[in-house]
Amino acid sequence: MTQTQAPGLGATQDEHLEALGKYRFGWHDADTAGASARRGLNDDVVRDISARKGEPEWMLERRLKGLRLFERKPMPTWGADLGGIDFDNIKYFVKSTEKQAQTWEDLPEDIKNTYDRLGIPDAEKQRLVAGVAAQYESEVVYHKINEELERQGVVFLDTDTGLKEYPELFQEYFGTVIPTGDNKFAALNTAAWSGGSFIYVPKGVHVSIPLQAYFRINTENMGQFERTLIIADEGSYVHYVEGCTAPIYKSDSLHSAVVEIVVKKGARVRYTTIQNWSNNVYNLVTKRATCEEGATMEWIDGNIGSKVTMKYPAVWLLGEHAKGETLSIAFAGEGQHQDTGSKMVHAAPHTSSSIISKSVARGGGRASYRGLVEVQPNAHHSASSVKCDALLVDTISRSDTYPYVDVQTDDVSMAHEATVSKVSDDQLFYLMQRGMEEDEAMAMIVRGFVEPIARELPMEYALELNRLIELQMEGAVG
Amino acid sequence: MTITEVPNVAGAIETLESHLHPQPSFDLADHPSPNGREEVWRFTPMRRIAPLLEERANEDREGDPAVAFTLNAPDGVEASTLNRGQAPRGTVLVPGDRPAALADLGCEDALYVRIPANTEVAEPIRLEIEGRDAGRRSNAVHVIVAEPNSKATIVYRHSGSTQQLENIEIDVRDGANLTFVSLQDWADDTLHAAEHTARVGRDATYRHVNVSFGGDVVRMHTNVYYDGPGGSAELFGLYFADAGQHIEHRLFVDHNAPHTKSNIDYRGALQGQDAHAVWIGDVVIRKVAEGIETYESNKNLVLSEGARADSVPNLEIETGEIAGAGHSSTTGRFDDEHLFYLTSRGIDPVEAKRLVVMGFFVDIIRRIGIPDVEERLVAEVERELAASVGAAK
Repeated sequence: MTQTQAPGLGATQDEHLEALGKYRFGWHDADTAGASARRGLNDDVVRDISARKGEPEWMLERRLKGLRLFERKPMPTWGADLGGIDFDNIKYFVKSTEKQAQTWEDLPEDIKNTYDRLGIPDAEKQRLVAGVAAQYESEVVYHKINEELERQGVVFLDTDTGLKEYPELFQEYFGTVIPTGDNKFAALNTAAWSGGSFIYVPKGVHVSIPLQAYFRINTENMGQFERTLIIADEGSYVHYVEGCTAPIYKSDSLHSAVVEIVVKKGARVRYTTIQNWSNNVYNLVTKRATCEEGATMEWIDGNIGSKVTMKYPAVWLLGEHAKGETLSIAFAGEGQHQDTGSKMVHAAPHTSSSIISKSVARGGGRASYRGLVEVQPNAHHSASSVKCDALLVDTISRSDTYPYVDVQTDDVSMAHEATVSKVSDDQLFYLMQRGMEEDEAMAMIVRGFVEPIARELPMEYALELNRLIELQMEGAVG
Repeated sequence: MTITEVPNVAGAIETLESHLHPQPSFDLADHPSPNGREEVWRFTPMRRIAPLLEERANEDREGDPAVAFTLNAPDGVEASTLNRGQAPRGTVLVPGDRPAALADLGCEDALYVRIPANTEVAEPIRLEIEGRDAGRRSNAVHVIVAEPNSKATIVYRHSGSTQQLENIEIDVRDGANLTFVSLQDWADDTLHAAEHTARVGRDATYRHVNVSFGGDVVRMHTNVYYDGPGGSAELFGLYFADAGQHIEHRLFVDHNAPHTKSNIDYRGALQGQDAHAVWIGDVVIRKVAEGIETYESNKNLVLSEGARADSVPNLEIETGEIAGAGHSSTTGRFDDEHLFYLTSRGIDPVEAKRLVVMGFFVDIIRRIGIPDVEERLVAEVERELAASVGAAK
């Protein structure tokens, strides 16, 4: 286990276990930005956010409409327990630096420290990162785009800048995939959004390296409401990677993002998330893509952190031969509820979708798969396959499957399958008699279980996922 | 491995509230009229089922009951009636929704069928339920007790036109073996809401077979929980939704005892404009339920355009110490490979389709084990198929 040992872990078993209970990225810098921001949300706060950003009038109206819908909509009761969220005790807008930095050296010292520990400069050096939009608190402070991308006409900006520079694209697409009143949290995001990524890929452009952004919440009780809009024009390809880690704080944080993706004719978009918020974050996210004729949307969705996650990446298959895919992995440890899944709506003939979901629950955590496959009456010759596997490693954890299937036409093939299994004594015995420790063996079995998803990730994410799983699994055996 | 003794868990479902299974109660005030947005009502056509949500007495007339019951009980089986509050009425089933609460309120005398301990009844107990008028309400409560180590088969056949509310509570005591078959052979204007709840005793075996062909709106709840380790429940069903029909099966198995088993297998076909089949399975595995085994499966065959199938096999698991759990759901049309295989052997396409669909259903039918029921069902499937696929040659 030496290769995976986190800094500061004890040598004896007791110290080791003690240290394992702590969140590894649980440091945070002195809270200088958050002190001034107000708590709670009302008309004035929304107007203030919009004015500070110098937004056009239509966006302010959209925000106010979002606020009204947010106030009117009831809290969802069908999923995880959201009783711990206090909307009046959240700061809806925090700005940490006045203007965006152009190079790494321009970043403030404490922000650089944060990112050094996340390893961003290394990734940059290895040229694995195409453009890094590092979101520190509510606004993007560091932004660099590879010259090659600029030459191809690819736009990769934070959403606020995107709105300033490409107002016509925003008017055309903003809120079209996820309407303001789609759900309570999408309405909240529309009212309070700040930051996020804006990507436009021109016709026929193939972005060969993944575009990445790091998100962090660093102010106590600070909601983070990123708004991401990705437009992949005809025949283009882009892979966007979103990763999250957040420090531990005393009271609960709320993260409620909206991600809208427009995949035009023949284009392909892959969106990868490894969500590792600290265990006090409510992560309530709406993600949806629309696919035109022959387009492909792929969601790769890893949920490891947070206290409660409710996230169901969706694909609306609007054109013939469109294709949607979701690979989802959820890891629920002590005190965590991962309520995740995917939605596929077949609204055109010859569309296909597949959902593969894997979940591991341990230490009393709860992992739920909740999904929907809807085949509308005109979507003949469609095919869909859903596979959910759950792995239980102890007797106190919980695993649920709620797969909704609604088929409204005859010429269709739809299959759903789920298995729930327990790590067997035979598997453990086999590995242990080859000289492995029990927790090592357990971690290896879990890694094997999630391997089909891990291999779809960019390499450094796959490594990080494996490391996180090992950290999670240590102490699971007792 | 030690087998943990579980205390008597009558009414155990009461402690298990969730969006999928609301708190059961005899009090009608706990079951306000649903508006259709509730999780348990969202698939049901509320306007059509509205008459079943009203509080109404049995609409019997002198010498002309709303529904005629004919019980044919072989020797050794005792039949009598129970008033409200008279045990064992109300020990196994607590109403889970408004129609079930209304059924209990509206029924003074519940039918009570008792199979004495250590008795094996060779011939099936048969109950014919015949509706007389699509405008009249019938509220039925039936209590069936299979005493320890008894063995029996019960066949219900529903026919005719009526508005039927029906609660059936079934107590399968330790070591007993009970097969319960419910045929919904209604006329096309019948409304039917039923709750069949069984408690399965230690090492007892329970088989429930639901066959739904007729009716305008049919909404069947089939619930199972356990009264000790070693109990086994098999829930089979087949259904055929024709144009305009709404057929809804909701299953709930509560694994509240260790080393229990459940196996759910429902298959249905849909044909015609606005044929709607809904199948909701829900299996809960509680912390105490170590070493259990469960599988739920639903398969839908969509034979024509305009039909709609909803299928939701839920699974809620609170312990990892289980032998196995899984579910599957498929919806599609004929398997083209099967068809190709048969036609390549010289069987004509109509006959091949008929064979494929028959094969799909016969898998369930042959597990019923009552020859005359099996024959009748094969004939019924043939009749239904004649409409969409073609008649047998």
